Amino acid sequence: MDRGRWPQASAPELRSHVDACRACADLVLVAGAFQRAREETVAAAKPGSAGAIWWRAQLRRRRAAVERIEKPLLGAQIFALAFNLLVAAGFVGFEARHGIAWLNWLQQSAASNIESLWLSGLSGSGWNWIMLASATFLVLLGGVVAFIASEKN
Amino acid sequence: MTWAIALPNTLARDAQLAGSRAREATRAIDPPMDNEAFARFYERSARPLWAYLARTSGDPALGEDLMQESYVRFLCAAGAPSLAAEGENAARLYLFRIATNLLRDHWRRPSAASIDDIPEEFFAAGDQAARQSDSRAALGPALQQMKPRERQLLWLAHAEGYSHREIAAVTGLASASIRLLLFRARLKIAKLLREQDAPGAGRAM
Repeated sequence: MDRGRWPQASAPELRSHVDACRACADLVLVAGAFQRAREETVAAAKPGSAGAIWWRAQLRRRRAAVERIEKPLLGAQIFALAFNLLVAAGFVGFEARHGIAWLNWLQQSAASNIESLWLSGLSGSGWNWIMLASATFLVLLGGVVAFIASEKN
Repeated sequence: MTWAIALPNTLARDAQLAGSRAREATRAIDPPMDNEAFARFYERSARPLWAYLARTSGDPALGEDLMQESYVRFLCAAGAPSLAAEGENAARLYLFRIATNLLRDHWRRPSAASIDDIPEEFFAAGDQAARQSDSRAALGPALQQMKPRERQLLWLAHAEGYSHREIAAVTGLASASIRLLLFRARLKIAKLLREQDAPGAGRAM
């Protein structure tokens, strides 16, 4: 049947068997109906252009590739933010426990000149330098986070 | 001495690993065929695929939508068979499998479309379809009385001429159960076709 040989080009014994056998008669009836339906439906089909589908697939592939690349970037941003918050929380906690003595030192330093600031730093108040370094580090981290967020936008 | 022996092997293994990863990554981004090969493949396979989707869903417009989506997914799929390496039959089976999954998803989804949302062309296409020739008109009502799965099995077996193994690959069913399911579906539709063809069937309705 697939090759179009039924019933003309088939043996008479086969035809007589199909007449007598219900299962084979069903097969011939159904297969014939489906093959005719396929021929007519395929002839009536008006598929769109392959180029448009290719273009849509290209767009979708690019979008998927961008999403694949952005996933680790988002992870890095979340990590940077979490780290920044942790450092800030640690800083605040430390200051709460040890008192905010460096504020007084800053006021004094602002009143004096740069030279005296340098000298007071060298003279032994090591905590002041640690506080200053931490603040600088926080400011830098904040800048990095702000840059990454603006880059994403 | 040990390093002198071990290092080249390690480097070669690393290079192999990197190469295979690069090939996997390239395959994930690159389509299974180039633009021209796809155009030829589309030319040969689009009409049969649309016929399958339109006749098993009973909706030509839906068939068109699902056909386009099937091709897009085929081109984006990382595991799609390459036309050059695995051949057109494998690519076609993969395409029919995507289409079958899309149809199943469509049937599972609750239909929320209002009649106002359906475009005019859909009704025009329906009228046109109703004016088709005798065999289509004869098969249509019988096919609509079959379950979706039975329609798919019958179409793949008798219209596309796929083997039980190929039908199993397309539908995701076990190969052993295809024979029985197909036999039952054939009995059912043969009975419906005979009832339709019986003299006086129209008057009885």
